[in-house]
Amino acid sequence: MFNMHLQFAEASGIGAFNINLKAFLFQLVTFVLVVLAFKRWVLPPILKTMQERQATLEKSLEQAKATEVALARAETKAEEIIARARTHADEAMAEARKSAEGAIVSAETAGAERAALIIKDAEARLAQERTKLREELKAELADLVADATEVILRQKLDESNDRKLIEQALKEIA
Amino acid sequence: MIKVSRRSLARYGADQLLRGTAARIVAKHLAAALIDGQRQKEAQLLLADINYELQSRGRLAAATVTTAGQLSASLRSEIVSLVKKIAQVQQVILSEQVDKSIIGGVRIETAERSWDKTVIGQLNKLREAQS
Repeated sequence: MFNMHLQFAEASGIGAFNINLKAFLFQLVTFVLVVLAFKRWVLPPILKTMQERQATLEKSLEQAKATEVALARAETKAEEIIARARTHADEAMAEARKSAEGAIVSAETAGAERAALIIKDAEARLAQERTKLREELKAELADLVADATEVILRQKLDESNDRKLIEQALKEIA
Repeated sequence: MIKVSRRSLARYGADQLLRGTAARIVAKHLAAALIDGQRQKEAQLLLADINYELQSRGRLAAATVTTAGQLSASLRSEIVSLVKKIAQVQQVILSEQVDKSIIGGVRIETAERSWDKTVIGQLNKLREAQS
């Protein structure tokens, strides 16, 4: 019967294309078997490998994205930290400048006070020296005057003047 | 032996002199007392004490007057009157000293006080006041 079909086929449609039906069928079966074998033993591992590869790629992409986000976050944080550090540094600088200015002002004040004290002390010492010198000069002058007067009186005081002097003294005592 | 104080001896001397006892006898008694107590060195001080006693009783004042030259009679009289008035005594014994170093003026010393009106005294005062 099969042969009848084959003959029919060769005589009608397919035979018109000059195709060897036997060979065609054989090749078809072979193809189907190859396909089935491929599907049964080759395709699953390939698919599995591909799926695994895809999963790995997706995971890598996710990780890359996460890393990117983390990096962005880290950058933001770093910028924040830098900004905060800059602010702190500015504040510290300002404070240091203020302290330095204060220190300079207080040093200047202390210096001025010390200078005033030294000047005052020197003036007081000078005044003391001046007073001392004046006193010494006065004493010396008094000595000189007394010496000169003594010399003059020893030469000039005669008996008559001495008598007047004694009379005057007696009046003062009385 | 009881030691009699110099002040008591001076009082005794003044009493005796005022009672009219001769000065020589009083001097002998006082000298004996001083020798007895081996206090001969106090003779000058005892005389000063007797002067003080007599002056304080208004009887007698001894004054030493120092001048650069001899005092005239009138000046001497003036000084005696002055000492009588100041010391309030009836009699004054004046002891005169001449000291050229005083230059001029007069210094009067009694048992109670003294007045220095000499030129040298005034000059020394000036020197001391300024030193």
